[in-house]
Amino acid sequence: MGVLAMTPVFELEGVGFRYPNAPALDGVSFSIAPGQCVALLGANGSGKSTLLRLLAGLAFAQAGHVRFQGGELTEAALADDAGGLEFRRRVGVVFQNPDAQLFNATVFDEVAFGPLQMGWSREQVLERTGEALRALDIEALRERPPYRLSGGEKKRVALASVLVLDPEVLILDEPTAALDPQSQARVIDFLFERLGERTVIIATHSLEVAREIADTCAVLSGGQLAAHGPAEGILSDEALLRSTHLLHVHRHRHGPGSAHSHPHQHS
Amino acid sequence: MRRDFLEKTLRNLGDALDEAGRAESSGPLRRLDPRVKLAGFFGLILAAASSRHLPVTLGLWGLGATLAAVSGPGAWRAILRLWAGVGLLTGAVALPALFLTPGPALDWGVTQTGLQSALTLLVRVETTATFASLIALTTPWPALLKALRHFHVPALAVVIFAMATRFIFVLLGIARDAFEARRARHVGHLPGKLRRQMAASGAAMLLGKSIQLSGEVYDAMRARGFRGEAVTLDEFRCSRADWAAAGLFLALTGAALEWGCWR
Amino acid sequence: MHIPDGYLSPSTCAVMTAVSLPFWAVGLRRVKAAFSARLAPLISVCAAFSFVVMMFNLPLPGGTTGHAVGVAVAAIVLGPWASMLAISVALLIQAVFFGDGGITAFGANCFNMAIAGSFVADAVYRAIAGAAPLGSRRRVVAAGLAGYVALNAAALLAGIEFGLQPMLFHDASGAPLYCPYPLGIAVPAMMLGHLAFAGVAEGILAAGVVAWLQQNEPSLFEIHAAAGRGRAQRIGWAVVLALVFAAPLGLIATGTAWGEWAVEDFSKPEARAAVAAASGNVEPPAEAPGGMARLAELWKAPLPDYAPAFLHNAAAGYILSAGAGVALTGAAALGLQWLARGARRRNPVG
Repeated sequence: MGVLAMTPVFELEGVGFRYPNAPALDGVSFSIAPGQCVALLGANGSGKSTLLRLLAGLAFAQAGHVRFQGGELTEAALADDAGGLEFRRRVGVVFQNPDAQLFNATVFDEVAFGPLQMGWSREQVLERTGEALRALDIEALRERPPYRLSGGEKKRVALASVLVLDPEVLILDEPTAALDPQSQARVIDFLFERLGERTVIIATHSLEVAREIADTCAVLSGGQLAAHGPAEGILSDEALLRSTHLLHVHRHRHGPGSAHSHPHQHS
Repeated sequence: MRRDFLEKTLRNLGDALDEAGRAESSGPLRRLDPRVKLAGFFGLILAAASSRHLPVTLGLWGLGATLAAVSGPGAWRAILRLWAGVGLLTGAVALPALFLTPGPALDWGVTQTGLQSALTLLVRVETTATFASLIALTTPWPALLKALRHFHVPALAVVIFAMATRFIFVLLGIARDAFEARRARHVGHLPGKLRRQMAASGAAMLLGKSIQLSGEVYDAMRARGFRGEAVTLDEFRCSRADWAAAGLFLALTGAALEWGCWR
Repeated sequence: MHIPDGYLSPSTCAVMTAVSLPFWAVGLRRVKAAFSARLAPLISVCAAFSFVVMMFNLPLPGGTTGHAVGVAVAAIVLGPWASMLAISVALLIQAVFFGDGGITAFGANCFNMAIAGSFVADAVYRAIAGAAPLGSRRRVVAAGLAGYVALNAAALLAGIEFGLQPMLFHDASGAPLYCPYPLGIAVPAMMLGHLAFAGVAEGILAAGVVAWLQQNEPSLFEIHAAAGRGRAQRIGWAVVLALVFAAPLGLIATGTAWGEWAVEDFSKPEARAAVAAASGNVEPPAEAPGGMARLAELWKAPLPDYAPAFLHNAAAGYILSAGAGVALTGAAALGLQWLARGARRRNPVG
């Protein structure tokens, strides 16, 4: 299949958004092809989170257009019963704060929440929820309340609660934030193995995560798109990364010997 | 010696977190269908609250004690603590009634009606508290919530109850961290005004976090298809033992009402 | 303040639940109209907030500590309707989960603290704050008074509910079946503890929170504006007042026995001697676990010594105590409103 023949999953055209006191996005244009894994990079306050909310259909562009598979994403389009639910099923979002993401009384209820809202039959809900719990290896946690889960377990429950709907697009906000190195590695491995044909959008300020899984990177800075293109090119452009505050230069030691300065990433 | 308010608040918050894991019980009540349990105990609470005769209330208290005794050592200890606490509080409340209630005098200024009303109150309060605690002690909260759906509590209300309990733990954690951080910075005794300010700003900070959290949760709910109307899954199957228990509850409640209230 | 099971008769509980139901229904509708689907997360998170705040130990002037409910803070930030729902949810979880407050008394506890508390706090706060700027000192004072008055209004209601019990419910021998103290004792006993401790805690919390929000998160005051206000609030307020008066007056009208618990017994010298002996030998609990324990202080109340003649009739006593409370609150609100108008004339910009 030729790339040109495919409708982009998301298409942004001159997108602008402002909060009552400050602009968050200004004139952002790019598109995301099906099956791509895109890393949205940007320091805090770069407009990354706002862009993510626009893509997830949780906020709506005040200028320009955001299109999902050719159809414009507007408040009215998502308020439509069938269309709105269909969009929610096809686009899954894993939020950064697991305490906000997990709002049900037990792990089972959490994973079954999405399917129930979709109005699926009882059998279908039970079957799909069971599958998702197995896929993420969290069956043993089924009746646990979320406050009794570790950080890594919470992340897996969050993924299960979204993947249970089998979305075509998966949006992840800082998927490895606040996890210990081992859990981080597990999440990255999981994303590698299981996501297959899905389109994945990851917002992160960790260049390591971007390096490991992204095909394409979009760099945001001060609410504008600073760069967009293949991952290797962008991740090796030190000048760009430094000017967008994704890399810092400071002095520190490497092994025995004197301290020296070199570009250094803080995540 | 007076404890510092930070210590006290931390202890309260810690106790609340520990309490939450306490529904460790066993025995027949644990296995009973939550709907039967909820309706059954509600009937018994009502019967105890309506009883006009001390022996009937005492009988109900004995029933509660028996049920607590067969629900495992954890539940039994919790009920013993409850009796001590409730007894102390209600005892203090009822004590002056011994002397103040007009009626035929006994010794030391105690009146007969006073004695009777103080005892009635004490036994009644202990009994209803026992039944109420047995529900919480032997039923996991999620099961209780699902049972509520069967008593025509709106799904949205049940979802709100479930989410509220969920966020109590999140906020307790935030509050505890904040107070612990403050404690680390302050050594020794602080002046009252400063302590009041710290408590209030702690609460205010918590309120800010709560409102922010509610926004994030709203996003998370919408992203998974929530549109303001809740849908829940109800999965209960009443076994024969459950039906038998329901019958037993009904008979006991009926008998208690008959002898305690209507006759 | 959390009334446990067994202190109120089932019929009183049924009445209080029936009175609360329409408030919940209207509140749910109004909050849904204002916040649409945001209602569920907002109410549940705020209920959790109130629950956690009820565990805070607030240091009070004089070295004691007290617990607040957080109802004034909730009413100021969320508006009375949303606050009423959030506090009700917190009370339900306390009753079921922690046994704090009874299950049958849930309706009464909700009416006292969540419903009446929210409306009173909202009315007092708005009367005093007037059109003062968001960052003004006056709003801090208004919040403090709103908390103080709201919690005392809740205590007054609880006192009335307790005080009605011995008049309405006793066994064949005349022994009270539920709370054994008549209005003349129950109301002052409840009020003492709340005027001196719990109300102060609530006021300190509300004032402190508003002061902090003014400095750090003034945007939170805008949530209330989104919730809409106006006539419905006044109707709610009027209904709360009408119920305080009408329910017991209805009982009087139907000729329920009021007289059995005559207050003149207190003026008998033998009874008074017994009371004095009791207060000498028994100490009130060092740390009251709840408002109810303050009933233990009642024998210190000087009421029987100089109780005026008209207090010897329980119905009159009820009307007097309820009326005095309401009149005082009303007069305070009116006076403050008058002050607020004066202040507005002086600073027309606000």
